[in-house]
Amino acid sequence: MPAKAAKLDLFKTLKQDYVAPRKPVVVKTSPAKYLAIEGLGKPGGEEFQACIGALYGVAFTIKMTRKFAGQRDYAVSKLEAQWWADGTNDLGRAPMDKWRWKLLIRTPDFIGQQDLDRAKAVLLKRGKGQEVMRVQLETIDEGTCVQMLHVGPYEREGETVAVMRQFAESRHYAFDGRHHEIYLSDPRRVPPERLKTILREPVKPAP
Amino acid sequence: MATRRTSTLRDYQERVLRVVVYIQDHLDEELALERLARIACFSPCHFHRIFQGMVGESLSDYVRRLRLERAATRLKLDSASILSIALDAGYSSHEAFTRSFRSAFGLPPSRYRHSQRSSRARNAPSGLHYEPRRRPREFRPVNTEPPMDVRIISLKPMRVAFLRHVGPYSEVGATWDKLLTYLGKEGFLGGDAMFIGICHDDPEVTPASKIRYDACVTVDPCFKPVGDIGVQSVAGGPYAVTTHFGPYHQLGVTYTRLLGEWLPRSGRVLRDAPCFDVYLNDPQGTAPEDLITDVYAPLR
Repeated sequence: MPAKAAKLDLFKTLKQDYVAPRKPVVVKTSPAKYLAIEGLGKPGGEEFQACIGALYGVAFTIKMTRKFAGQRDYAVSKLEAQWWADGTNDLGRAPMDKWRWKLLIRTPDFIGQQDLDRAKAVLLKRGKGQEVMRVQLETIDEGTCVQMLHVGPYEREGETVAVMRQFAESRHYAFDGRHHEIYLSDPRRVPPERLKTILREPVKPAP
Repeated sequence: MATRRTSTLRDYQERVLRVVVYIQDHLDEELALERLARIACFSPCHFHRIFQGMVGESLSDYVRRLRLERAATRLKLDSASILSIALDAGYSSHEAFTRSFRSAFGLPPSRYRHSQRSSRARNAPSGLHYEPRRRPREFRPVNTEPPMDVRIISLKPMRVAFLRHVGPYSEVGATWDKLLTYLGKEGFLGGDAMFIGICHDDPEVTPASKIRYDACVTVDPCFKPVGDIGVQSVAGGPYAVTTHFGPYHQLGVTYTRLLGEWLPRSGRVLRDAPCFDVYLNDPQGTAPEDLITDVYAPLR
């Protein structure tokens, strides 16, 4: 059997982007390549679930196509998402069915448009749904951010964000950009009080 | 529609007792799993876990302990050599017998012979012991706290693409790799695919090299069998489901508790069809302690 290169796990090779501290820290993120799909509506709603399915479907199809061809294997990274709402900086003020989200899966640099197009074609041939067409490859540069681990239900993230905001202000930063979450736990079975989610808020120097 | 069969804890205990009595009466014989399962009226694919879960010992450990207890009785009652008692108990040497005996009784056979110790070995959670003059009429079924969190759901039949693996359970990863790589590049891993493992043999009972395991992924009707990848249907109907958190190599404990502790107290009876695992996250990129697996047991 041929010797295998160590399996690539982006959360490990890019561990500076994926720190999960119990107290807020400043993180200088690098431009990041993702598979992404954008949508509107309640987290856990039909559109949301369909888009998660499409995103993972594309991610696994790209990975397995390369693996079948004997190319370097890598782990499909855990789900992330950016969240925002039109007309307000405070997501909590907008009703959930008006929340906008961009679901993300961090993807190795060697994945290109060709890989994506091929995966979409194969999935569509199998009747895998129009959401697949909406998946894009995107590079997002969030620059300097404040990052912290949130343990507990998603509904209580406000408390962690408040701690992060205070920390940012103490360092003369202001929040500037979309709220970003990195899902370390699977909400389907993990009890809400034990969910672990990394929260990231891009910042700019305070005026 | 067939009436649901019910069964009480006492019913389960009585069926296990039939096996216990049979074992005591045939302690020198081979005691094949299929025969014991038939005596208990459980399907062979479930019997061992039910026995182990209720009695607190695997079948082979239980039989070994009873043989040691009988040997202990003989050590006291007659003056046969330790070696001949060892051979009659199924051991191939004095040393092997002494090791097992010491583990069960806390002291070697030679010292035991001259002691006042009882012929009951330690570590018998059920309270069942070798007692040639009595027929065991009851035992303490294991009941660990807290009780398992089990839900009963109704499944529709599922059509799956699968690859069969024959060999040690620890090596099924390679089979999954092959199946997922092929299905993935062919576009069959859309986001709603379920990943199911059907283990037809109990790793505690079947030699590692003979364990049959099917790695399965749900597919829609347009998937046709190709090469080694076949298609089968996972039966629909009622299932008891419990979630196992943690490494796959500890799944056996969850199975034993589900079949040996929850089931006998549930009032339900199993269907003669295999149990299976549904893997909820991807072992690549997930730490073993974060793995989540649903265990399904088919009910009548």
